[in-house]
Amino acid sequence: MKKIIISVFGPDRPGVLAAVSRILFEQDCNIENVTQTILQSEFSGSFIAEMPADLTSDALCCFLSEALTPMRLQANVKLMEINPPALGGQLAEPYVITTRGPDRKGLVANVTRIIAGYGVNVTNLQAAFKGGENPNDNIMIYEVDVPVDIDTQAFHRDLRDKAAELDLVISIQHRKIFEAINRV
Amino acid sequence: MLSTSEIVSTLEMLQNEHLDVRTVTLGINLLDCASADLNRFKDNIFARITGLAKNLVHVCNQVGDKYGIPVVNKRISVSPVAVLGAMFSSMEMVEIAKTLNEAAVSVNVDFIGGFTALVQKGIARGDRALIEAIPQALAETDRVCSSVNVASTRAGINMDAVLMMGKIIKEAASRTAAQDGLACAKLCVFANIPEDIPFMAGAYMGIGESDAVINVGVSGPGVVKKAIDRALASDSKPDLGQISEIIKRTAYKVTRVGELIGREVAQVLDIRFGVVDLSLAPTPNVGDSVGEIFQSLGLKSIGVPGSTAALAMLNDAIKKGGAFASSHVGGLSGAFIPVSEDLNIGEAARAGFLSIEKLEAMTSVCSVGLDMVAIPGDTSAETIAAIIADEMAIGVINKKTTATRLIPVPGKKAGDFAFFGGLLGQSVIMAVNNGGGENRFIRLGGLIPAPLQSMNN
Repeated sequence: MKKIIISVFGPDRPGVLAAVSRILFEQDCNIENVTQTILQSEFSGSFIAEMPADLTSDALCCFLSEALTPMRLQANVKLMEINPPALGGQLAEPYVITTRGPDRKGLVANVTRIIAGYGVNVTNLQAAFKGGENPNDNIMIYEVDVPVDIDTQAFHRDLRDKAAELDLVISIQHRKIFEAINRV
Repeated sequence: MLSTSEIVSTLEMLQNEHLDVRTVTLGINLLDCASADLNRFKDNIFARITGLAKNLVHVCNQVGDKYGIPVVNKRISVSPVAVLGAMFSSMEMVEIAKTLNEAAVSVNVDFIGGFTALVQKGIARGDRALIEAIPQALAETDRVCSSVNVASTRAGINMDAVLMMGKIIKEAASRTAAQDGLACAKLCVFANIPEDIPFMAGAYMGIGESDAVINVGVSGPGVVKKAIDRALASDSKPDLGQISEIIKRTAYKVTRVGELIGREVAQVLDIRFGVVDLSLAPTPNVGDSVGEIFQSLGLKSIGVPGSTAALAMLNDAIKKGGAFASSHVGGLSGAFIPVSEDLNIGEAARAGFLSIEKLEAMTSVCSVGLDMVAIPGDTSAETIAAIIADEMAIGVINKKTTATRLIPVPGKKAGDFAFFGGLLGQSVIMAVNNGGGENRFIRLGGLIPAPLQSMNN
């Protein structure tokens, strides 16, 4: 058995997951992980599955495209390699970085450049830029793993300086505070 | 994965609703510092306090930064000085207070509590020396806080101590006349004082506590008010039962913040975590007021008819939410209504909606008492003692903590303003019924016996 990662995207509509999972089932693939989201009107989904040894990723991609093209969806299939964890086993603490402020080009690029520069890994990003005055309509929420051996104060300072330059209000908080407040 | 609403609602509480940890208070047991030699005694307590607390402020700031929650005040409470310094004279007690002050300055905490005597059933030699030292000690230090427990449900009300405190409060005000009697803002008279209050001026390290403990006082009146406002602005048209539920859930969130911060500070300092005091403690800032909650609930002002019922509901809902959030709840735990420390309550007093009598009634259903109440400077010691006695009676009969922090402002009369500065705020001076008149009842002295409520074994 081989592991594959499949990405599917296109206009959202009822039946997308049903179509993908039906093809995988028919080809004797076993789904291990799925995540999907809808960005504005677009569906985007990623699937990790085990695939029989005698099936190729190109062949599976053909089966998927045959079923999904009429729905105006695209699929890509890639063989998965066994990779080390993103931080190579370094100890890390989970933080949440939130920015709120007016939309402009380059916000994500500017913030992630600093995050990447410190070897901090983004594990989840939710961002919405709807314009208007409501600060919650222009928000970026980065869930990140911060290696414990980086200079945290310098990391926070650089993020805050960049946020000020971009006219953003930024918060950098350990994830536990959100769990403590919101979850029993 | 966290949801956007979980993150946004938390940020709102922090950035727009004044959610903070009001105080992390390090309790330090000083009993084994006792020595009959005053200098050795002072050296011992200075070394103990500065040794244990040297990293307190730094660690609180570090943990606060980590979670994005400011720890506004870092404080210390110590064993009751009247007990550990029982062999010293009144003048020597003043010297001890100065040493406590120096230790507080050295480790950069804003207040140190524990200049305390427990005299609910009788006044021992050390208690008398400490109480007599209070006016000078508080006038000549700026960070020392003092408390005297004059009553308990188990012991009754020590009316000799009550009268003594009336006189002490007058003298403390007189010694700080140029600052509107500021020394009295650092002095609480209690019934049923808890051993683990993190809030000042009543914090002291209880005799039954361990070597050191971290207690946390959370706040959050602004968070509660906004939650009520949002509910009332929604289409759901909540009734008081549903509003109570909203307050309870909000208190849960606030308490969880305090417990998280407190436990981490305790862990880093390698000191036992004690309790969360889940009180709604206001500051003299708009949006951080307990009084504003009453207006959100539909009352014209705190003090108008309906206020006691509203406060009872508020206080109870806070306790219920907090009790679910933490298994280690202590201190005062409820709503504070300090007049000068809450802009809205101060304004209610100025506008005539709130009298001392109404405040006293309200204290029967909340966690403190007549707190930060400025009264005319010519109010007699007997009348001050009588006000204290009334407040103590509420605590003793209802098996709860009550306290007074009364400030007879020298040279000022009802309607004038007193200014204390910082978190202590400012206030109109409230009128006192029979302020200068005689009070033979108080002069009778003795002990009002413990009530039937004490016989519960």
